[in-house]
Amino acid sequence: MRRSLILGGLAVLVFPTAALAAEGGTGGWIAPFAVIAAGIGMAIAAGLCGLGQGRAVASAVDAMARQPGAAARIQTAMIIGLALIESLAIYTLVIALILLFVKGINFA
Amino acid sequence: MEALEHPPIFSLPGIPDHVTYTWLVMVILAGLTFIASRNLQLVPLGLQNFLEVILEQFQQIIDDVMGPEGRKYLPLLATLGLFILTANLMGLVPGTAGVTSNLNTNAACALVVFGAYHWIGVRKQGLIPYLKHFAGPVPMALKPLMFVIEIISHLARPLSLTLRLFGNMVGGHILLAVIFLLMTQLILWALSGSVPGAIIGGTGGIVTIVFTVGFLYPLKILVAFLQAFIFVMLTMLYISAAIEEGEHHSEQHAGHH
Repeated sequence: MRRSLILGGLAVLVFPTAALAAEGGTGGWIAPFAVIAAGIGMAIAAGLCGLGQGRAVASAVDAMARQPGAAARIQTAMIIGLALIESLAIYTLVIALILLFVKGINFA
Repeated sequence: MEALEHPPIFSLPGIPDHVTYTWLVMVILAGLTFIASRNLQLVPLGLQNFLEVILEQFQQIIDDVMGPEGRKYLPLLATLGLFILTANLMGLVPGTAGVTSNLNTNAACALVVFGAYHWIGVRKQGLIPYLKHFAGPVPMALKPLMFVIEIISHLARPLSLTLRLFGNMVGGHILLAVIFLLMTQLILWALSGSVPGAIIGGTGGIVTIVFTVGFLYPLKILVAFLQAFIFVMLTMLYISAAIEEGEHHSEQHAGHH
């Protein structure tokens, strides 16, 4: 099962090059890879960012339940922390947007 | 991005759209404050009351985070916060260009913050002590290394401020644009007259409309407030770090023992 998935993934990765090589098109062979890289990178970033934010929120809620008096301060700290964690995923988003939309980059 | 998003309804020739809408934000903010402060009263009513409540919120956050000496920086922080908040919210109105979904606007705000907190720190402590603090409390041999690392981390601050705001806004706008594209396609399919189009397209169109109005827009409004809050909050933390660094060591020791 897993091996077939890996092979399928490799086929997906190899296919655009093969197709474009067969066409003999000059330039632009990197564009399919850019799309794939943007998708996979964004997926990994979003998943791991979700894990990190989940841990942060879990312990913040835990702390708020233990000490309701300090809830406001904990919430502020939590929001700052969430923003800092989220910005790591945002970097990936920016890279993905550059890969998808910026045509002027000479990847070669 | 340009392929997905519509050009705004109103644009001046020869001037980038985000600049036009930055001017609109400036006019809105300046006009509101001018109207509200033209006839000041001791017991505020209406618009004056509303703006005073907003300002008091800023003041309370500043008091919580920076303590009493933070009041001095209220103009900088409140201006940044109100500008970014208004720009974020205005970007949600269909037919306007997103002001904060352009890197230049955000970079301008972040560079103002970068310059401001270094200037405040230098003025508070003097140039040499402020620079000395970059080296940190490490042995003499490690100080040059620490200095370089600290400079890099300070240079990363405006970058991360810029990219955080930009990424959040642009990501949301692209999501909205894609959903709107899907919505129009589905509704056109539903109106085309074929039976599967009427069933699938009609259901899909209603689902996307409900999803957008009920979930995406509230989420975007929340993000708009949150990002403005985060920007101001990080600015406050940077400023208070710059002005407190001088007494840092003695206070920390007194506090911890």
